[in-house]
Amino acid sequence: MQIYLPIAEIPVNILLILALGLATGFLAGMFGIGGGFLATPFLMFIGVSPAVAVATSSNQIVAASASGLLAHLRKGSVDIKMGLFLMIGGFIGSTLGVSIFRLLQKSGQIDLVVGINYVIFLGSISILMLIDSVKTTLANKYNLSLEARKKEQSTWFKSFLLSLDKLPYKIYFPKSEITISTLVPIILSVGIGILVALMGIGGGFLMIPAMIYILRMPSSVVVGTSLFQIIFIASNTTFLQAISNHTVDIVLAFLMVVSSSIGAQIGTRVGYKIDANKMRIFLSLLLLAVCSKMFLNLFTTPESLYVIEILK
Amino acid sequence: MKKIFIVLLLLLTHANSASARSIISGISTNEINIDTSFNGTDILLFGAKGDAGNIVVAVRGPKKNFLVTKKQKLLGIWYNGKRIKFKESFSYYSLFSTFNDDKVTNQLLSELELGTNNLKFMASDNNFSEDQKNEFQLQLINKLEKDNLYSSGANKIEFLDETLFKVMLHFPKNIARGVYTVEIYLINENDLVSFQSIPIYVNQIGVSATISDQSRQQPLLYGLLSVIMALIIGWLANYLFVRFVAK
Repeated sequence: MQIYLPIAEIPVNILLILALGLATGFLAGMFGIGGGFLATPFLMFIGVSPAVAVATSSNQIVAASASGLLAHLRKGSVDIKMGLFLMIGGFIGSTLGVSIFRLLQKSGQIDLVVGINYVIFLGSISILMLIDSVKTTLANKYNLSLEARKKEQSTWFKSFLLSLDKLPYKIYFPKSEITISTLVPIILSVGIGILVALMGIGGGFLMIPAMIYILRMPSSVVVGTSLFQIIFIASNTTFLQAISNHTVDIVLAFLMVVSSSIGAQIGTRVGYKIDANKMRIFLSLLLLAVCSKMFLNLFTTPESLYVIEILK
Repeated sequence: MKKIFIVLLLLLTHANSASARSIISGISTNEINIDTSFNGTDILLFGAKGDAGNIVVAVRGPKKNFLVTKKQKLLGIWYNGKRIKFKESFSYYSLFSTFNDDKVTNQLLSELELGTNNLKFMASDNNFSEDQKNEFQLQLINKLEKDNLYSSGANKIEFLDETLFKVMLHFPKNIARGVYTVEIYLINENDLVSFQSIPIYVNQIGVSATISDQSRQQPLLYGLLSVIMALIIGWLANYLFVRFVAK
């Protein structure tokens, strides 16, 4: 079953696209990540041009996150107040990032920057998360006291968190039951926003660990809150791409939107059944796999030494 | 197919009576319409030749700018090195001839840009040596051949009898929209005996065309609609799941 995509200007297999949407939606609902890191390379693999793949993925992320967010809202597991602060920073960051992206695109080194960014951020985050969640699992299994575990936490990170607590404009977030300076979520999301624009993804995989380890939000509200802010960032990106580059393929987006909304519903339900710590292990392994692939890509001799693009 | 055959017969009788033209040909359609079910198409070219010589059929697609980048290695990491931009190059090129192989060198063929080795590519700046340009140009041709956009076929012209011939022109699923030209040449030694040119229009039609037009003419509305569609479907999926599946 083939359908011709009007903007991408190639036909694709409908079932293949539906399956891709389902998978990315599932990840969105379960882990609170947009799934763009999976969808974008896959679309490029089947022949969609990178510009259309990035823009259309962001449109699909809107639906998957909306679907997942509504499910989380029903469970009351969204910190809207925190989400709003993260959204403000995200807007500023992604707008800044888009300009940096254009600059790098001109120099021709955007691929390399994206690749290195992926490896550094995905790599360090997934390894840290994996170590931490494995430790927790072991501690739970052998009944080690949490106090003993806390001592193991590296001192530099502890002092880093302490210095964060000294920042002004403190505010209480009732849903997450934390008091933190508003500067922290804003600066954090500006930084992530820049990376999001540079890497062409929703940024959930960066936001989730940052919420857990830096903002120290409870695991239960992290996924929902992440989805909340992703909707705004992804909507903004889709809109900007449609206006300036005309690269959103609405037919491709529609197929992915329908299937990923369904996938997100399933993902949310599965997510609630799995214990938070196990989920972190899954997520970190998944990210580590993607990161290893990216790492190898940087060093292995490409299949073709020449890249050919059609210029608009 | 029957219709085409009748046309062929008509053409044959016509060709015999009108010996003034030494080659005459026609195609099964002048239009390729890309709709949502488009997956490539074939067009039949048929003709008759009245004089001795070789037939060459060339199809050229709309011109595009191409960027060819060579990957280079620094400290084990691959990055984008030298790049050459080729201006106004054919996005589609297909050649058929009665020559025995593709490598026939002939001044006329080279002047008429017949054959991928005779195509003239224009680099957008002159900072490159001839060798470098040729290297990048060859890679561009290879890629386009791999994508079925460039092809050449010696001996692919089928003769039904001594004068009547036919060629099947293939247009793959990834062709660009625009005007294509089919050129039919009759070449004897180094002389161009006869030449004919037929246009083919590749258009997007139906829903597919509407979407593509709207994305450019009304980008603001298009962008808003894309986002709203995503939000509504996301909401709908949630609603249906709560209602019919489970909380």
